[in-house]
Amino acid sequence: MTMSEVFIDGKRYEFEGQPQLLQFILDLGLEVPFFCYHPSMTAPANCRQCMVKVGSPVKDRETGEYELDDEGNRVIRWFPKLQTSCNTVIADGMVVQTQESDELVQRAQKDTLEFILANHPLDCPICDQAGECPLQIQTYKYGPEGSRFEVKKVHKPKHVQLGPRVTLDAERCINCTRCVRFTDEISKSHQLTIVERGDKNYPVTAPGRSFDDPYSLNTVDICPVGALTSTDFRFKARVWEMNQTPSIDITNGKGCNIDLWTRDNLVLRITPRFHPEVNDYWMPDAGREAYQLFNENRVSHPAQKLESEQVSASWNHALETLAEQLEQTDRKDVLFIGSPHASVEENFALMQLANLTGAKTPVFTPHVEEGSGDGFLLSDDQAPNAEGCRLLGLEEVSPKQMQTKVSEARLIVALNDNLFGRGVLDATHAKNAFWVVFASNHTETTQMADLLIPITTAAEHAASYVNVDSRIQRTFPAKETKYSNRRLSMEMSEGRLDRFGTSFDNWVTEDHKIDCVPFWDFATQAGERLGLNLHLIDGRQIMDQIATMNPAFEGVSYVTMDEQGGIVLAKESMAKSK
Amino acid sequence: MTYEFTKEDLDRIESIKKEYPEVKATTLQVLWVAQDRFGHVDADVQRLVAATLELPEAHVHGVASFYTQYYKQKMGKHVLDVCTCLSCQLCGGYDILNHLEKKLGIKAGETTKDGMFSLQQVECLGACGYAPMLQVTNGEFVNHLTEEKVDHLLDKLRNGEDPEHEMMEMPLRKQKENP
Amino acid sequence: MSQSDWRTYKPVLIPPVDNLHEIEVYRKQGGYEALKSVLTDKKRWADPKSVVDEVKAANIRGRGGAGFNAGLKWSFMPPADGGPRYLACNGDESEPGTFKDRKIFEYNPHLFIEGAVIAAYAMEITTIYVYIRGEYRPFIEMMRKAVQDAYKNGMLGKNILKSNFSVDMVVASGAGAYICGEETSMLESIEGKRGYPRVKPPFPAQKGLWGRPTTINNIETLSCVPLVIRNGADWFSSIGAKNHPGPLLYGISGHVNRPGVYELPSGVPVLELIEEVAGGMRNGKKLKAIIPGGSSTPILRADQLDGVTMDSDSLRTAGSMLGTSGMVVMDEDTDIVEVLWRISHFYHHESCGQCTPCRDGTGWLEKILLKIRNGDGETRDLDLLLDVTTQMEGRTICALADAAAWPVRYTITRFRDEFEARCKKSVHALV
Repeated sequence: MTMSEVFIDGKRYEFEGQPQLLQFILDLGLEVPFFCYHPSMTAPANCRQCMVKVGSPVKDRETGEYELDDEGNRVIRWFPKLQTSCNTVIADGMVVQTQESDELVQRAQKDTLEFILANHPLDCPICDQAGECPLQIQTYKYGPEGSRFEVKKVHKPKHVQLGPRVTLDAERCINCTRCVRFTDEISKSHQLTIVERGDKNYPVTAPGRSFDDPYSLNTVDICPVGALTSTDFRFKARVWEMNQTPSIDITNGKGCNIDLWTRDNLVLRITPRFHPEVNDYWMPDAGREAYQLFNENRVSHPAQKLESEQVSASWNHALETLAEQLEQTDRKDVLFIGSPHASVEENFALMQLANLTGAKTPVFTPHVEEGSGDGFLLSDDQAPNAEGCRLLGLEEVSPKQMQTKVSEARLIVALNDNLFGRGVLDATHAKNAFWVVFASNHTETTQMADLLIPITTAAEHAASYVNVDSRIQRTFPAKETKYSNRRLSMEMSEGRLDRFGTSFDNWVTEDHKIDCVPFWDFATQAGERLGLNLHLIDGRQIMDQIATMNPAFEGVSYVTMDEQGGIVLAKESMAKSK
Repeated sequence: MTYEFTKEDLDRIESIKKEYPEVKATTLQVLWVAQDRFGHVDADVQRLVAATLELPEAHVHGVASFYTQYYKQKMGKHVLDVCTCLSCQLCGGYDILNHLEKKLGIKAGETTKDGMFSLQQVECLGACGYAPMLQVTNGEFVNHLTEEKVDHLLDKLRNGEDPEHEMMEMPLRKQKENP
Repeated sequence: MSQSDWRTYKPVLIPPVDNLHEIEVYRKQGGYEALKSVLTDKKRWADPKSVVDEVKAANIRGRGGAGFNAGLKWSFMPPADGGPRYLACNGDESEPGTFKDRKIFEYNPHLFIEGAVIAAYAMEITTIYVYIRGEYRPFIEMMRKAVQDAYKNGMLGKNILKSNFSVDMVVASGAGAYICGEETSMLESIEGKRGYPRVKPPFPAQKGLWGRPTTINNIETLSCVPLVIRNGADWFSSIGAKNHPGPLLYGISGHVNRPGVYELPSGVPVLELIEEVAGGMRNGKKLKAIIPGGSSTPILRADQLDGVTMDSDSLRTAGSMLGTSGMVVMDEDTDIVEVLWRISHFYHHESCGQCTPCRDGTGWLEKILLKIRNGDGETRDLDLLLDVTTQMEGRTICALADAAAWPVRYTITRFRDEFEARCKKSVHALV
């Protein structure tokens, strides 16, 4: 059977099934400008921007053969009007001309942009969307040079607080209806509608109702103009000043793929990153608020408790104290506590340290809030890596068992998990032991620490997390610590500012670099001090070690993860190895 | 303000629901039931309609705002919709509107202080042959308006009389019938 | 009996019978006999398809403005699959200058109901929705009463006229939106939504109301159906203009002595319609121009009207369209700038706002025209207006943008001197 064929701007392409023309063109890496179309929602074809010229070959009724002209080319019957490519289904033999090869199409796209801009405020200099605005980009590429609109623009409501997280400027809206379709088709909260008619149209909630959809900020992402902006992020930074680093949402077991947007080592916002099998184009609002975790309330520099007061201590002192405690304490009285909130690599490092010092396998307690999930992108599991802990072979214990173990221990080495804050432990369980706490942020648990050692967050290291569906995915370092350097680290992205900024740029400061190290760094140093052979360099190398040692992780590496968008691990292999 | 449908309204809504395969389709018709009952479909009434039909409030709001005949706020007792579109424009629709503005002391889009009349300028009402004309509160058409006829109408409405239905004959048809 | 000469024509859609809107009177006049014949005379009507064929042969061209052969439209319905199928009757007439279907609701509702039920039988429809513009409240009430009477008399509902055929009819009220006269917008409105026209394909015959096969016909179109069944396709197609045959409801408004709705054969000469039918120009004024079939159809100057008849072929040759055959007549005193601004205001007000070129184009047109009307226009604005119409036409989901563009284009080109007289001379050219 021969493949079906379509000719786009004179080039032949093959296709199967019934693809939509615009998506097919985009998948080829080609471009047709559009606004209202979104691959995960219905296509209303209302912006009229993706116009192309479409024709079909004429077939002889009797023979079914293509009719040919004098030069032997197929006779094409063109559609009488230009077609919107978003909702055009490709048929065999179809001939398409885009703006690349047809002047009428160019003209139509320019005309539509002129209409869109007629009532648009053209306030890019004060608009948050500038720099990542499809309207701005496409106007530069395909739009008219000037405006012939010399009459009064329509005025509509501005800076409307639609809900706790989203702000509306109705004058900028181009009525693509993506936001309304999002609440109807994706989040299904049905909280938005277009009101009024004609050029008075704009999207809004029912009167007196708040746009408190737990996924509301996705409408900001998909708004092709600056009509919907994030109330929190508004006016904080220009997009071209920021670095964009791929990462994983660590506030939930679902493991949404995200981007961290940083400027001068502060994470300023989080946006979803497309992953067809995990989160599509979306993420919950809750995961976006996590950006503050990376900036605020950080544990910076080690501390030791002296007479119930934590005082600053040197890194050497911290190392020495940990080593002494491990040497002094009877192995059976030492409890290592792993964390579903920490990465696979960190938990592995903890396991190694425990094993080599002869202590028992680390324990962990999952962080599950029954009924808090929504069957969409929020799972009951509040931690990003419970499954990773299980697959590594940490001992899963209930809160009750954890309380007993903690009460019986003399020395506790705990990895980044707010056990006191989330109700697993309270002060009565902690009395007997010396607490060594590795943490990124100050919490109820760090207050209990006799020795507090600051470690990196998902925004500062490359590390992996196994989500509720057993998919292992990894982060990239997005912000520098006191001991890492963007230009030297091959793992870190560089933004325009990093490359072209100077020390005179007024936003550059050292203040946002946290005095912390990756947990495996500290574990390795502690191992050295104790004469143990713990050789943990970075996430990439640790994952290679894990892959050779633990059959559950066989074949997993940063390279394969990056190539495949994460890897789904088989739960059974773990069961066998146990 | 909170509004409630009467038993009669709810029965009517139930019978409307039977006319359509799904409840969303009843939105326009139930907004009419509501407007007939409360005289408008403001935000609170829209909310009542949404709750009664178990539909999203945003949907009901979007629909109510799309259609011009739904009053999104409280209106005067009588709403005078004066057509000024094409045929009415040609035949003096604007003169009638101006006359009413003067007579009532309000501009189009406003309501008299006593709450008796709201005046609106509207688009074609489908009575082009009987221009100029107006419609009273989404109800009867008053055709072939003159200033005198308008004055008379205002008096009637003030006296609590409803405008009667004017059968607009088909001229030639009548002629043939009575040669 | 020839019905082609309008002077001797006897109305058949709305014959001069008192109280014809009452079902008893209608039946006494031979009403519902066509339906009875279709449902019970198996010799004459072997199957639903034979009805479709007859209607197709009669060439009833859609009276809503597009002029598509109704029977042909019916034949697009896919074969019945046991699921629901709908007939949506378009009684939304809202195009300025159009006020004809209300006469059917008022005077002869059962002719329409009979036609709709015959259509339902022909297409194996399960439910008929009659969508009437909300402003027609008095006529909606009349229609609802007529539907009730039809149910009581067994013309609607289960086992109509003791046949096995059943169909329901629901009257749905609009609420003030011109766009709902656009067929797919009307479907959205019947479904209880904002009246946004749908993208085609899929066409309503494939996916109409609630995703099911649906045919949409105008009220007057369906009212022609019982006449075709009763008298035959040949009889129907012999009336009036050859390519656009049948009785036609002419709505005449504007500066004539006797405006109103007239039932005459199609193809009446425009000037006779004005002079003889509508009683001539008011106050003895001279004719300046007409808009032949609703505000969207291109305006024709008086000097363009010689020999022009009210049918699609003749009007196309003259440079316009038959549309809804609602003719607006303007006398010599008419300010054409004012008229065009008002038409543009209408389309600006009625654009649903879905498609960019229409949403922003209709407003732009009106605002430029307003500027010209107020004496602030420049001659280059006229060229800009023409440009904007080109940018709007054929670029949207439905035809409202076209309907808004045509009057501007043709009124300016046909009355350019009057527009220029209102404009200042441009000091600089268009960008």
